Amino acid sequence: MLIVKNATKKYGNLVAVDNLSFEVENGQIFGLLGLNGAGKTTTFRMILGLIDDFEGEILIDGEHINYKISDQIGFLTEERSLLTKLTVLDQVIYYGVLKSLNEKEIEKRLDYWLERFGISEYKHKKIKELSKGNQQKIQFITAIIHEPKLLILDEPFSGLDPINVELFKEVILEMKAKGTSIIFSSHRMEHVELFCEKLVVLVKGKNVLQGKLSDIKKNYKKKNLIIKGDINIPELKKAKGVEKITKNNDEYIISITDDSYVNSLFKLISKYDNILKFSVEDPSLNEIFISIVGDNYES
Amino acid sequence: MNHKLWFLTKMSLNKKIKTKWFLIANLIFLILIVGLINIDSIIRAFGGEFNETKEVLVIDNLNIFDEFKLNYLNNTKYISDYDEIEVIKYTKTYDEATKEVEEDNKILLVIEPDNTNYFHAKLISKDEVGTITSTIIATTLNAIRSKIVLNEYNITNEMYSNINTPVELETVILNKDNIEDGMMISSIMQIVTLPIFMLIIFLVQMIGAEVNEEKTTKSMEIIISNVSPKTHFISKIIAANTFVIIQGLLLILYIAIGIGLRLVLNNGNLIGELDSEIIPIINTINLNSIAKSIVIVVPIIIVMFLLTFIAYSLLAGILASMTTNIEDYQQLQTPIIIISLAGYYLSMASGMFKGSLFIRIMSYIPFISSLLTPTLFVIGEISIFDLIISIALLIITIFLLIKYGLKIYKTGILNYSGTGLWKKMFKAIKEK
Repeated sequence: MLIVKNATKKYGNLVAVDNLSFEVENGQIFGLLGLNGAGKTTTFRMILGLIDDFEGEILIDGEHINYKISDQIGFLTEERSLLTKLTVLDQVIYYGVLKSLNEKEIEKRLDYWLERFGISEYKHKKIKELSKGNQQKIQFITAIIHEPKLLILDEPFSGLDPINVELFKEVILEMKAKGTSIIFSSHRMEHVELFCEKLVVLVKGKNVLQGKLSDIKKNYKKKNLIIKGDINIPELKKAKGVEKITKNNDEYIISITDDSYVNSLFKLISKYDNILKFSVEDPSLNEIFISIVGDNYES
Repeated sequence: MNHKLWFLTKMSLNKKIKTKWFLIANLIFLILIVGLINIDSIIRAFGGEFNETKEVLVIDNLNIFDEFKLNYLNNTKYISDYDEIEVIKYTKTYDEATKEVEEDNKILLVIEPDNTNYFHAKLISKDEVGTITSTIIATTLNAIRSKIVLNEYNITNEMYSNINTPVELETVILNKDNIEDGMMISSIMQIVTLPIFMLIIFLVQMIGAEVNEEKTTKSMEIIISNVSPKTHFISKIIAANTFVIIQGLLLILYIAIGIGLRLVLNNGNLIGELDSEIIPIINTINLNSIAKSIVIVVPIIIVMFLLTFIAYSLLAGILASMTTNIEDYQQLQTPIIIISLAGYYLSMASGMFKGSLFIRIMSYIPFISSLLTPTLFVIGEISIFDLIISIALLIITIFLLIKYGLKIYKTGILNYSGTGLWKKMFKAIKEK
């Protein structure tokens, strides 16, 4: 279990992370979201022990980070952190031994993962000879080869085709089921939505949104009305609570500023002919993210 | 943690050694070193003539050919391979002889009577005649003339010998430690320091490239999250220095192979055909007290070189940690290379400027001292005491580099921004 308590990191006058607190339980996938420069990397570095001069506390299974505990952490960086001149085997052995595994065990586990990802033939190839997607698979293997208790995934699906994204998802969910705590960071909100039960959104180092995804969505006042039928767009645009109207194939999506307007809008829309569908839906995480981050970023 | 240190060292060393470039570079070194040591044999194998192996045609207008030939062969019999030169009495015309010289690359010697000097000789060749051949011909002709003069004045050989016996001049040198020829020894020391200089350059470039590779690929973050920057730094220093020692030993092996081959090719004669140039040098070395000094100097030189490798590798590692890409590092390593180059050039010049206080002061300066001090010590410019001061200063430098450099390294390896770099580094030094 990971506990981040009031973590604050300053670089001179710049506050990179400001009083951040969150917990990731065993077997939980936690979303750490934010724009570039929001403080995600600094947070990861604090968790990994790469930064030690910060205020607050970070505990893994009740202990402060040390080189014994770091063996229990897996980290998949956003950039390719592979030494391209090494072969796949040497690279995985390199990072595996740093996680206190022995070389024989690493090779055995590598064979399993290479087969699972369908790239067994690349075992003795140099990293630089692999495609971007296959390099990402190797990077993923290096992050999980030691079966970590805490896994940090920063943009794990970068460079992957949809089939391999599914393969990764499957493995991530398997690890969650085994009890691994996972911190998931991505700019692709549909992925975050798919995995994360809890999340925190950072803007300029500050926590601007935090909680369970279902609660965040439920408590988020803005809703979307999905309408199928003939509607009077100019009249609806003038209606109270309507933020914008967009058309998606033969449906209209009416974004409303507060769910308290649902009844009045329902009454208005029910006057129109041929209304085949009227449903109230929670906005996507992407919309919530853009709205929250946008407001806070500007302020 | 120790296991991880040795593993990192092994990985780092493997990355340098298990490459085709290491193999290719060493193959080139082997060919170059063995080739240079056996250059005379190579020239001969390709049909070239390292020494004068031509025919000497003699137009003898004084009827002294037989005596000339006898004396000539006598003079050359102690020089290996000179029996290959044929001395032939030429009976055709001068023009025909010069044609043969032109076409067949022979040498023509024309001996003419002379009223004042008994006889006069002319040596004609297409290209320049080698020093050895012309010297032997001149010596032979002088001997013949001497004999003619002795006969003319009825001077016996005994009388002639008495006239020619030199006055015995006994030389007594009180400071026997300083009798070496400075220039010659500093030249010899250059041969020793050149590979060291090259190895320093290798070392500096290697550490820089490796640290930069790990930084730019962000694999540094993975590594440092599992081992301390100190362990990482030490592993790089050990690996780079081990590599340099291995490379140095390989160079020594190539020299041994070259010498071995030379002995085989020259029937056990190490000097071979290079005698005229090498023998005086070897004689000088043997005559002087270098052999005695070497016993003291060699271990000191080895210690100094090892300390220098460590100092340079520490400096290179620290500087590499501060850079964010290989281009930055290439700029930053230039001063290091200039410093080592200065040491090398000063070592070369030390023989010319005996007694220079400037060179003596420079010999104390770490990074330069190792390339300069051994030469100065061998030529007697500095004493063991000076050498100990240089070593002590080098050890102090290493200590300071470890103490403060490690702090810079710790901050530097995870820093990806060039903004306020020096400020960050000074701040790192001040941290406890």
